Formats: sequence, structure tokens, C-alpha cells
Amino acid sequence: MTHNDQQYPTPRVDQINSAFVEAWAEGVLRLQVCGACGQETFYPRPLCPHCWSSDLGWTEHDGKATLVSYSLVMRPNHPAFFEETPIILAEIALRDGPTMLARVICDDPTQIRSGLLLELLPAEEGKKYPLPTFRPVL
Amino acid sequence: MTQSRDIGVIGYGCTDYVKKADRPLLTFLAQAGRDAIASAGLEKSDIDGLALCSFELPPDNAVTVAEQFGLSLSWAYLGTAGGAGPIASVLNAIRAIEAGQATSVLCIAGDAYDVSGLFRLLDNFGRALTSYGSPHGFGGANGLFGIIQRKHMETYGTTREQLGRISVDQRKNAQKNEAALLRGPMTLDDYMNARVIADPIRLYDCVLPCAGAEAVVVSSLDRVPRGKGVRVLSGYEHHNHPPGEISPLRGGWELFRDALYRDAGYGPEDFDLVQAYDDYPIMVAIQLEDLGFCEKGGVGRFLEKNSFTWDGTLPLNTGGGQLSVGQSGAGGGMIGLVEAVRQLRHEAGERQVSNAQRGLVSGYGMVGYGHGLSTSSIVLERS
Repeated sequence: MTHNDQQYPTPRVDQINSAFVEAWAEGVLRLQVCGACGQETFYPRPLCPHCWSSDLGWTEHDGKATLVSYSLVMRPNHPAFFEETPIILAEIALRDGPTMLARVICDDPTQIRSGLLLELLPAEEGKKYPLPTFRPVL
Repeated sequence: MTQSRDIGVIGYGCTDYVKKADRPLLTFLAQAGRDAIASAGLEKSDIDGLALCSFELPPDNAVTVAEQFGLSLSWAYLGTAGGAGPIASVLNAIRAIEAGQATSVLCIAGDAYDVSGLFRLLDNFGRALTSYGSPHGFGGANGLFGIIQRKHMETYGTTREQLGRISVDQRKNAQKNEAALLRGPMTLDDYMNARVIADPIRLYDCVLPCAGAEAVVVSSLDRVPRGKGVRVLSGYEHHNHPPGEISPLRGGWELFRDALYRDAGYGPEDFDLVQAYDDYPIMVAIQLEDLGFCEKGGVGRFLEKNSFTWDGTLPLNTGGGQLSVGQSGAGGGMIGLVEAVRQLRHEAGERQVSNAQRGLVSGYGMVGYGHGLSTSSIVLERS
């Protein structure tokens, strides 16, 4: 629950993404990895988007990342976020991994810069967010 | 691809635009379609092909709309490419006519929604955004295009002042267009200081969601008098480029640009007007780069050196574009096409580009996990 008693929207869970969603509930970032070509993918797909193999498994990522670019969202799509603006919405590059859209949590958004090093929120804090969520490495 | 030079756009139509839908979507689609047929000088019974582009149309589709409208069809098409769809629908209509599947195709695009409707739409646009965008509080397209604009600014030194020239000049065009919802004067200061929506995106970078529809008729050019037909010289579409990249600084137009101009026999310097898909000024800028009006990364200087009013050095979105007229959902992908046809028929009134002979129109749309997935372009010439 957030301040205004609205639940965050959550991912639709199905056979394709359940391992990812369940891992994040424990604060772990799990990436889909292809057994045939070895490439990692975010977001989870029904087949490997690189080689079309169905031999898909999972690998853990430590969440170390770089902020590529970002926007400061003043008008989020859902009321659950209204009291938390600006929402820091970023394109991030996981170290030796794929890029993803992610929310960055920072008390002072003026500190945010492209190129910042990021890490996952600690599990206890991260769990309240529906998807892997990051903070600057200070 | 090379088009038959005998087939083109022979009529156009549009509804009024309203901020809040005051009638059902099908009524808007019907009004635009009837207008277009009348402008072509055709009867309802002449139409044997129908193409529709609309986000809100499901569960209806092109065939159930034919039932609603009482049309008997030999060809039906439902666009899937968002704001790139209407141009693609015209290209596909030409193929259908070339193949003998239809003789006259009515292409309609429109939606009937408002600001809250747009947010609902973006929340449920596709499985990826629903599951991996909405749970972040992503702010719809504004949040995603804020990321792209910042990247362009930081990569190439593009400034908000430069991008603002697009919004400001398009507003001047809108002042000559009674159909535009936003016609008040706008200065560069107004643009710079507008309310922040998704920094660096501010209010005048954003379109106003609205209700309305646009339509064209595609058929043999010999069905209309000289000067009333618009030849389609070339056109292309592309989808999901580049795969896997979230916030690319290119859209896919660069993939077919050379073929587009080769087929047409004309290049960027030959166009009297350009109608570029303007969901955001940054995407107009990226289109100008990808379509070869300047080099990649050079659009900031290009914007400074040119003026974009109907009487400017590069007449751009001469009716005011979506940024001033409003974005009627998928209709936003046809507003530039209809305006180009209007201009090339020399029926644009106070905003008529002097002696307009050739134009380029491009589309963009279907926001996926980070950016628009679909692009399209078409080169038109007065017959």
C-alpha cells in the first residue's frame, strides 16, 4: 500500500514470466537466458528473440547497472504513484547484460545524472515495488 | 516499392475535432468517410475496399464496420501499426487495386477519446508495457519519450530551444486552420517555461488527446479532374527496428530512405512540404535526420537555420499537426496525409503553400517497450 491507499499496478503473471516475478518478490533480479545461443534477455519472452530457441532458462544478475537516460515523470499513469512524483523512469544498462526500463529511487532527484552507477534496492525495501527497482551507488 | 503511377489519392475528408467525445466513434468514422467520398466525386456504391485504423474500434473491425455502413466489399484491411498505420493502409490499398482485389478503397483513421482515455490506452497497449511499464508509474508515452529526448540532447547537444521551434511554428500554422483545437499564440518563451510533464518533456511537447477522424479515397487517378488527384510516387513501412533497443535515436525511416527517394525520383530538396509525425518534437527531429534532411545528430542546427510555417523555408505540418490540432488516436497518423492531399490539390486556403507540387508524409506509432515500433513514409505528387 502506498500513501494514498492505492495498490501499484502489477505485472500480468504467466508461464513466461513467473520465475522472474517470483524472484523479485525475494529481491532477486532474474534474467531469462537462452540455452542455445547463451544470450540474456529482458523482458521475458515466449522464445529467445535472438535465435528463436525454446531452450530458455534463468540466471541471476547482481543488479549493478549504469543509468543511460531518464525522465522525471510528473504525471504517472496510475494514481498509486501520484504522491511520489517525480517518478525517476530510466533506461538502464545492466553490467554485462541487457538494458531495461526501471524506476530509480532517490530522495533528491536533482542528484540524478546519466552515467550514474546503480544498484538494486536492498531486498526488504525493494519488495514493495512490483518490478526490479534501483538506487544510485553513493 | 514502385507504385503504379495511375493510382493515387482522389479524395479526402475529416471531421471536426473535439476535446471530449460528444458522439460515438463510429459516427466520427462515418462522417470522415462520407466527406472523403464526396470530395472524390464518388458514390457509396463505388467503394469496394475499406481500410480502418483505430485503437478503440475493437471488438469491431473493418468487416463489421462495412456492415454498419452498408458497404459490400471485395477487400478489407485493419491497421495494426498505430500512427504509422494510416500511411501503410494507403500503400496496401494501392497493392490491392493493382492486384485487382478492389477498384476504390476508402481508408479511414480516427478515435474518440480524451486525456484519461489515453492513459487507459497506454496502460493496456501491449503485454510488455502492461507488465513492465505500468508497474513503474511510467507516465505513458510522455515518460518514454522523455528518455529518448534526453538521450538525443546529451548525445548530440540538441537543445530545448531548438526543438521548440517545431512547436512554435506549427502553432502559427494552426492559426490558419479553423479545425485546430489549439490556436492561441505561442512564443518560444511559452514553450520553454511550460509546465513540466516528464522532464525534459513539457506541456507544449505533448499532443492533446481528442476525438476526430480523417479519411482518404484511393483509386484510379483518371476518376478525378486534373489537379484533384494526388499521385503516390513511393512508400515504405518498417516495424520493430532496431530489435531489443529500448530508447533508440533512430526510428527505422533510415532503412528505407534511399529506396523511397530512388523510387520517387525525388529527394529531400525537392519537397514543397513535409508532414512529419509529430507526437513529440523530438520525433519530428529524428524523422528529419532519418529521412536525410540533415545528418544524424545535426538536427539542432537544421532547426535553427530553417522556418517551418506554411510560408517558411521548409513548410512542416502545415495545418498545425497533432501538436496543435490534437491527436485523435490513430487518426493522428492520417492528419498529415490529408493535409498533404489538401495542399497538393491547392485547397488549403490561407495556409496554402505556394504552387505546391510534391510532398513527403511520414508516420510513426505503436508504442512498445520504450519507443514507437512502426514507421512509414509516402511521397506524393500533384497529378
